[in-house]
Amino acid sequence: MEFKSVSDVKNKLEKADYITSKEIATVVFLAEATNKPILVEGPAGVGKTELGKAVARSLNRKMIRLQCYEGLDESKALYEWEYAKQLLYTQMVKEKISDVVTGSGSLSEAVDRIADQEDAFFSERFIQPRPLLQAIVSDDPVVLLIDEVDKSDPEFEAFLLEILSDFQISIPELGTKKAIKIPFVILTSNNYRDMSDALKRRCVHVYIDYPDREIEMRIVSLKTPGIQERLLENIVDAIRDIRKLDLKKKPCISETLDWAQSLMALQIEDLSFEVILATLNVICKYRSDSDKVRDYLEKNHTSGNAAWSISS
Amino acid sequence: MVNLILKFVSCCRASDIRISTSEVLDCLTQLQLIDILDEEQFKAVLRSNFAKSRREQSRLDRIYHLFFHEMRQDMGIAERDSLSEHIEDIFDMLQEKAGEDEQLGAILDFISGDPLAYLRELRRIQREFQDSTGNTRFNLGPLASRLQMLINLNTTRGAIAQFLDDNHTHITRENRHNLMAHFNEYLDSAYAMLMNEPRPYEDNLRQVRAYEKRLEKLGEKSFSLLTQKEIEEMREIIELLVRRLKDIMSRRFVSNDRGVLDVKKTLRRAAKYQGVPVEIMFRKRPPRKGKIVTLCDVSSSVWSAARFMLNILYSLQECFTKVKSFIFVSGLTEVSEIFDKYEINQAIAKVLSEADIEYNVPTDYGETFRDFRKSHMDILNKKTTLIIIGDARSNYFSAEDGILEEMREKSRRVIWLNPEPEQTWYTGDSEMYAYKQHCNEVRPCRNLNQLLAFVEELIL
Repeated sequence: MEFKSVSDVKNKLEKADYITSKEIATVVFLAEATNKPILVEGPAGVGKTELGKAVARSLNRKMIRLQCYEGLDESKALYEWEYAKQLLYTQMVKEKISDVVTGSGSLSEAVDRIADQEDAFFSERFIQPRPLLQAIVSDDPVVLLIDEVDKSDPEFEAFLLEILSDFQISIPELGTKKAIKIPFVILTSNNYRDMSDALKRRCVHVYIDYPDREIEMRIVSLKTPGIQERLLENIVDAIRDIRKLDLKKKPCISETLDWAQSLMALQIEDLSFEVILATLNVICKYRSDSDKVRDYLEKNHTSGNAAWSISS
Repeated sequence: MVNLILKFVSCCRASDIRISTSEVLDCLTQLQLIDILDEEQFKAVLRSNFAKSRREQSRLDRIYHLFFHEMRQDMGIAERDSLSEHIEDIFDMLQEKAGEDEQLGAILDFISGDPLAYLRELRRIQREFQDSTGNTRFNLGPLASRLQMLINLNTTRGAIAQFLDDNHTHITRENRHNLMAHFNEYLDSAYAMLMNEPRPYEDNLRQVRAYEKRLEKLGEKSFSLLTQKEIEEMREIIELLVRRLKDIMSRRFVSNDRGVLDVKKTLRRAAKYQGVPVEIMFRKRPPRKGKIVTLCDVSSSVWSAARFMLNILYSLQECFTKVKSFIFVSGLTEVSEIFDKYEINQAIAKVLSEADIEYNVPTDYGETFRDFRKSHMDILNKKTTLIIIGDARSNYFSAEDGILEEMREKSRRVIWLNPEPEQTWYTGDSEMYAYKQHCNEVRPCRNLNQLLAFVEELIL
């Protein structure tokens, strides 16, 4: 299953519960058509990771996810030799080794004979594939999501390059593993630091911003079926207003959804001043933030000019 | 189509967006796959291939608009035909006038629909560095070439008006009006480009203002207002907090220090159990830490904040691979050695009395950056976090924010701490506005609470 055109991408993503703009759909389409990774940038919580999941759903592929962090290395991302297993096997086949060695005339011949068996210990049996290798050797095409790649170290970025451009991994003991089916790769970045030019050159880039009002309303109504039009509008307007405040963590789409869902669960139909105050902790994750929003609300409530109509 | 894209690419390159050949090739292949008559799709392809970070997007958008909208907003075809003869004449006249002058030539190219040379000129003006030979320093260099361009724009405008006036006998009044309007549109957009340098979209910059008010009284008091006694108190508090932070750090790395198998150790242990490797030993991995480079303004107002920051950073030294510090007023001096040799509080006192720095000159950030570029650029690499503490008040000397951009490209992150309240950042001689765009993060740092919030985020 693959995408046929930009509008096809848009439709399929929408079917997979992901509403998106044409720009993003274009980039997804191109990435799929030209086998290039996508580098997604944007503030936290605008659905960067979700894009990966949605692509996986709409293409009907398995998703393999690699979460990056400082100190992530090959053994966590690519593969690891299972030393314990190797040692255990060595113990178990100890007697066999004497069988191999018996009859050898000299010491060097004995060593040669053992060396002939070396492959037995450096074979795929003892390799533990980590996400990147899994994605490469998988028989079915997969979606590989490399999340928060900006948190990783420069070294990690360097060995990503081989995978991203040639879709292969070199394992010194086994040789080069080439991808059986080329995975669809999505890298997300929170812009904690700038990525290297080499990495950027291999990707198509897209910046996801907070959605505009109309798209956000569609997202909320999709995820909270049965929500009333008026409440929906009020919620989205309120969130968009709160985002403009200077907060430690701005409410993102998932907070909008949480809020809408909790208001639905509370069977609230009108977004009154009191209701907002009571449910503020759903939107704001820091105390200083909720204080700020409360101040803002009180100011606008008394002067009666909140941008979004609070019906009291 | 290929030609058009190549032209667009050279314009982008002229305004400092790095585009590689492979990216151009990618773009051309991708354009074949989409409906290029749909502008949204077309623009998405160019954007996703040529501007590979949010920082570059604003620049690309500007050129895109210039290239595909402003430069193409020609008059109706019929009208243009009737005027084309005159337009040719005017170009001939301007060509003659421009002669060898590069700027005039660039302007001529621009109004005839090719912005490349003009963009190059603009970039040259923006990138011009001051050579700091001699004792007197001006910021007139960049200003002068900007002014020259302005004059040239006006000359061109004047020349066209003059030409139309001279030829009023064989150009109709209506045509004259149309021609002037046509050229004015180009000249206006050239003027706007000269006056407003594009700034990156700001949503990419982390601007931290909110912080937790952890400590009540002392935590909120501005550094510059502390009394001697309070400074003593402050030290104790810092010591306490540093210890707590270290605890958190060590806990975090305990779970994280299992590296690869240590064959030697494992075999040695195995000897205890007749060669059976019961216990498997792993090599301990040192926690991965970053290198920190600090640049501290030591003019009096800023120093009060900087000293506390240095205090905390050096107390937490084992959390980082290396801490290197520089202080500056006008020109840099490295003080890492003093901090290595002496106990922290002694060191802070020594920095002020012994470091090789002249205090009786006005602060000059531009000179500092030039100095840094000349002799210390090599200490920055992709693992280095560069922390600059200063009020960005450069006494109207050249800001040299281009160098800061170079520094950003070399290092992992650039963080600017400003000890002034944010309301005053963009007033007077503060260059914060210019510097801000090249930082990954800017934050006010006036009191202990803010400082702590920062340090905590830095190491955790």
